[in-house]
Amino acid sequence: MSLKRVGIILGKELLHGSRGYIFIFSIVAPVVISLMVSLIFGTLFTGKPKLGVLDEGNSQLIPMIQELDTLNLKEYNSTPEIRQAVESGAVDVGIALPASFDSSITGDGKAVIEAYIWGESLAKDRSVIAVTITNLIREMTGQESPVDIETITLGDEVSIPWGDRLLPVIVLMAVFLGGLMLPATLIINEKVKRTLEALIVTPASIGDIFTAKGLVGLIISMFMGVLILIINQAFGNHPLLLVPVLALGGIMAVEIGVILGVLLKDVASLFTVWKTAGIVLFAPVFIYLFPEIPSWVGRIFPTYYIIQPIVDISQLGGGWAEIAVNVFVLIGLDIILLGLVAFILKRTQRFSN
Amino acid sequence: MNWRIITTLIAKDFSLFFRKKFFAIVTVTGLIFYIVIYFVMPGTVNENLEIGLYAPVALPAFTEIQEEGLEVKTVESDDALKEGVLEGMYVAGVSLPADIMEQLGTGQKPTISLYFTPDVPKEMKDTVALIIRELAYVQTGQPLNIDVTEETLGPDMSGTPIPPRDRLRPLLAIIILVVEMMGLANLLSEEVERGTIHALLVTPMSIKELFIAKGLTGTGLAFGQAVLFMLLVRGFSEGPLIILVALLLGAVLVTGVAFLISSVSKDFMSVLAWSIPSFIILLVPSFSILFPGAITNWIKILPSYYLVDTVHRVANFGSGWGDIWLNLLILLGYCLVITWLGIFILRRRVQ
Repeated sequence: MSLKRVGIILGKELLHGSRGYIFIFSIVAPVVISLMVSLIFGTLFTGKPKLGVLDEGNSQLIPMIQELDTLNLKEYNSTPEIRQAVESGAVDVGIALPASFDSSITGDGKAVIEAYIWGESLAKDRSVIAVTITNLIREMTGQESPVDIETITLGDEVSIPWGDRLLPVIVLMAVFLGGLMLPATLIINEKVKRTLEALIVTPASIGDIFTAKGLVGLIISMFMGVLILIINQAFGNHPLLLVPVLALGGIMAVEIGVILGVLLKDVASLFTVWKTAGIVLFAPVFIYLFPEIPSWVGRIFPTYYIIQPIVDISQLGGGWAEIAVNVFVLIGLDIILLGLVAFILKRTQRFSN
Repeated sequence: MNWRIITTLIAKDFSLFFRKKFFAIVTVTGLIFYIVIYFVMPGTVNENLEIGLYAPVALPAFTEIQEEGLEVKTVESDDALKEGVLEGMYVAGVSLPADIMEQLGTGQKPTISLYFTPDVPKEMKDTVALIIRELAYVQTGQPLNIDVTEETLGPDMSGTPIPPRDRLRPLLAIIILVVEMMGLANLLSEEVERGTIHALLVTPMSIKELFIAKGLTGTGLAFGQAVLFMLLVRGFSEGPLIILVALLLGAVLVTGVAFLISSVSKDFMSVLAWSIPSFIILLVPSFSILFPGAITNWIKILPSYYLVDTVHRVANFGSGWGDIWLNLLILLGYCLVITWLGIFILRRRVQ
């Protein structure tokens, strides 16, 4: 293998290939998805009940609710607006506070609250909203809590919020879109356009060509993996350990990409494989999304050994000791796949003949 | 119109599709995975806050609570309470001091201990603290001078909430339909680019028959898979005929979009480039079911909204023809317009 020739082909791929749809898609898609997840899912999956308020006066209750962590508050300006919000499920409960609300609760009169309840809201959310509002009103009227509360945390596990649980999905997508799809499409395109034969008659060997194409995938894969971790500020205590893990994950993606590139006839077949067999690659993320699923299920899938070390380092504050076993399994899988790549290349003699 | 020619072309397309073992196998595998995803999703919703309580003395406000959404279970000892919390039986454990009655009676402030596991978020801890404080207010008989009038908007699902997997069902059904859209668009685009479509047209087949055959092939493939999926995930337990009609219209819709895509595409990559935005646009309404209220009314301009909304309302709320006829009518309108437009543009390209 000639490093110089690999470098020349790599340069050509990076220069010309970067205009391709898949190249752009590999970079844009994970970033867009990551930003969307941060913006949308960060608040949607918090599990906090959503309260809508129509304040016809200037009640002190609003700033008090805003200070709480227990509810997500949205304010509305009219009855039709708040009813529409409740009806669509934008809020679990909507309350309308009359202009005289504050004076009524602190004076002799009786305050009236109109509450609109979304039919699909969970009973516990309705309860939490009711209890919270009642508590705040008691506070406003100067009632003193009859008890003190002491909060005690049992056990020593660490909690993982929803936003972080989604991180493995995005990291895996970033690594595999670039790592798998790029080399596969580059190889398939050379086959379809019959330029592979042209390349082979040059001094470049089949090994040089496939290494260069694999390197394109690996570079983009690692770049995107690191970028997604930067966007999500997920480095943990040992950020440097993430680099070799991402590299090993990228190698696995590239190896699968090269195998698919060699075996498949066209890009359409590649996308058919991606849409169906892709679920096998992404299956382990379900154990992070839904902790109710037993964790051993994830170990069946090869990508688990990429994701688990990343989660260990970036979210659980783990170090080498925690990731060592999974990393060695990942290295083993990479070696097996490398053998498979060599075997398939050897069998498909038509490339070199 | 010669139906014999049309059926021959359909049979040829289907035969080619299934003769190609690769496509046949991956189509079946894909379907299996969608079904697996459905069954992996939680099938129930716990809509109660389960709180464990250790009360050495009887405090009616705590032990006899009848609040909707709260489930208080009493335990025999403080240790049993901690064990229950650690095992995940309760979201929180509430431990009352033995002398709570005396302290409350003499105007002192007793301290109530709340136990949590570390994965309980702060907002949940605050919520439980608020609940306990409110129960203490009730126990000490402190009145609150408010009246609340309640109105429930939409069907009241309290007690029978929709599990996440059933919210996901319309999304998976539409993914199956939309993925077939890409396949058909690619098939048509290839026929045009390779010139085989012109070869077909020199036979006795008319262009009208060609489009009918291709349309029926695409619709059949998309509809068949969607129906099979819905059958396996028990999607036909309510209003099966309405859901069948909705899926059929959905299959026609994606076929129409496939005609449109293939009319502007030159190769697979351009099919993909046009399909991805179409895919995302058609999928957006499903997210309004998954995350209610997250998307505003503008989604009603998207044709797939009327498919997703129909499937959701019929399968999850038992809506009937009277409730969703307008949805189906609008969806039919979209189908006719998009399919006609797709055929019109593609026909101009072919001719």
